[in-house]
This record gives sequence, C-alpha cells and structure tokens, in this order.
Amino acid sequence: MAKTFHLTVAKVGENLFDGEAVSATVPGVEGVFQVLAGHEAFVSELAAGDVRVTTPDDTVHSFTISDHGIAEVSYNQATILL
Amino acid sequence: MALKDIKTKIHATERTHKVTRAMEAVSAVKMRKTQSAALAGRSYARAALSILTRLSGTENAKRHPLATHRDGTKIALVLITSDKGLAGGLNSGVLKRAAEALGKRSIEEVTIYAYGKKGEEYFTRRGYRVARAFENKGDDVPLAVMEELAREVSDGFSRGDYDKVITVYSHFKSTFEQVPTMRRLLPLSLGALKDIVDGIIPAKGKWSHETPLEAPASYEVESLSGDVLGTLIPRLIAVALYHMLLEAKASEHSARMVAMKSASDKSKEVVHDLTHLFNKIRQAAITREVSEIIGGREALAT
Repeated sequence: MAKTFHLTVAKVGENLFDGEAVSATVPGVEGVFQVLAGHEAFVSELAAGDVRVTTPDDTVHSFTISDHGIAEVSYNQATILL
Repeated sequence: MALKDIKTKIHATERTHKVTRAMEAVSAVKMRKTQSAALAGRSYARAALSILTRLSGTENAKRHPLATHRDGTKIALVLITSDKGLAGGLNSGVLKRAAEALGKRSIEEVTIYAYGKKGEEYFTRRGYRVARAFENKGDDVPLAVMEELAREVSDGFSRGDYDKVITVYSHFKSTFEQVPTMRRLLPLSLGALKDIVDGIIPAKGKWSHETPLEAPASYEVESLSGDVLGTLIPRLIAVALYHMLLEAKASEHSARMVAMKSASDKSKEVVHDLTHLFNKIRQAAITREVSEIIGGREALAT
C-alpha cells in the first residue's frame, strides 16, 4: 500500500476533507505541485484552480479554489485552506 | 391600588409578555443558526491558527516585524459586541473585560476598533479615540470585512501606531454560558497563539483532540510577493477575527434568548399575581357592598 499522510481541506464554515490521502495536487501561485507522504515543510499561497486528492482506495476528490487559498505541509500532515 | 389601575397594569404586562415571547422565538431561531455556524467554523479557525502557530515558531517569523515585541504601551483594542441590548449581561461583561485589559493606560495611548454599536458607544462616551466602527447587524458577514480590519490593524502595528493589538469578545461555551475573553493578536507570539488555539475546541473532527503544535525549524515558502508572512499573517488574523465574530454572534443570540425567556416567565408570573390581587380586591368590594345592604335592611326592620 502506498504511504499516506493526513490531509485536511477546509473552507470557512465547512470541513471538506479530513483523513488519510496518498497524494494531493494543488495549484500553487508558482505552478501546480503535488504533495506526497514525507513532503518537506512547506507553505504556499494558492492560485485559482482545482485541488485533486487521491485517497488510499484510489478515489479522487476534487475541490475548486477561487482565490486566496493557503497550503501548509509539515510532519506528514497537510492543511489546505480554501 | 384601584381596580381600574390593576386592570391596566395586567393588560400592559400581557402586552410585554407577547413582545418578549416573540423576541424569544426569533432569538431561538437565530441562536440555532449562529451556534452551528460558530461550531462549524471552529475547525477552520483552528486549522488556520495552527498553521500560524507553527509558522510563528520558525526563525524568519521570529524576525518578522509583525512578531517583534516592542516596549511601548500604546495599544489597539478590537472590541466585538452586539448592536442591540436586551441580552442580559453579555455586553457589560465584554466591556468590563475590555476596561480591565486596558488597565491604567491613558486615553491617548488607546485606539479602539469597535465591531458593534454597544462597544462604540461605551468608549466614545468616555472620550476614547474610535478609529473605526462597524455595525454588527446581519448574521452573514463576509470574511472580506474581517480581512479589511485585519489589514488595518497589521498596518497600524507596522507603522508603530500601537505596540500591541488585543481583542475582547465573548466566547461561546453553551447556551447558558458565554465567557468574555481577551486575546492578544499582535505582536505574534507562540504563547498567545497557543492560548487562542487551545480555546477553540471544535465539537468533533480532527481538531477535537490534541494535535502536535511543535514547528519545523524552517519552511520552504512559495508566494508571489517576497514577504509571504506579510500576506499570510494578516489573512490568518482575519480568520481569527472572523472566528471571534462567529463566537460573539452565537453568544449574543443565546444570551438574548435566555434573557427573553426569563422575561417572558417573569411577566407571566406578574400577570398571575396581579390577577390574584385584582380578584381579591373585587371580592372585598362585593363583600363590603353586600354587608352594607344587609346592614341597611337590618336598620330599617327595627
């Protein structure tokens, strides 16, 4: 089984995703990046676009960011604020 | 008291009862809405503030102007109250806490940002400088309003208009308990942020249990402007303020619901007592009249 990390995707007033994920593809302001387990500590502002999250059972969740997002990765856990 | 006066008073109290009961019903609906909004918003606020907490532990954050501790005594107070009263001791509690937080500072050293009329009125009356006042009307406040406020206080702090930014609001515990709470926003520090984060306990979900707050020594940072903390900090402070506003709103409607409920109960009691008194006096009058008639008849018979 692929390594996982804990991912939280939240927007104001709502928790969109909270659980283990294999990978997350996120639109950063300097280009799209992918977060996998063991990613180094990292903070980024996000551009408009889609966040795609792959869970261990291979389902893909997709969330749309309009603007103003923040992503933070540390200690094998990631937080994405839309 | 004459019979007629009592009757008028009963009617008046009944009308009051109708009003307070209607307000209770309205507040109950608003309370449910704002409570769920506040509780749902907690996980977001906690997530955002945890980021801020971890960021503030890193070396470049400690050197950031917004995190620099200064020795001056000038202070900015962001005060979140309601616009209207009739909410029991809610606003007075917040105002008392605010006055306490200001301590012995002179009026010139204080800048007030008032969200909600009650706070604005209180400090304007006492001659404080209210830099910015917002109305606390609707329950759906966009985050953008708080972003504006957050930018204003961060700019003011960077300019040196004040050396410290604190906020006082009422924290929602339950329908019957709201706690006036003081938090420090700027300068950013691990301790102050931890206080805020620990105060936010969401009903359920990831953040309802303790999560490690220790920070990596450095972050790789990606942003368009060079100063990522300069943009991130005000934005995350906006989230903090927004969270406080949601808490304050949930507190306001809960407090008002409870206050109106006890007012309704009391007015019912007063009506009951007055009706009792009314009947007693009426009965006394009837008895007196009857005995007068009987007495008159007796006098005629002899």
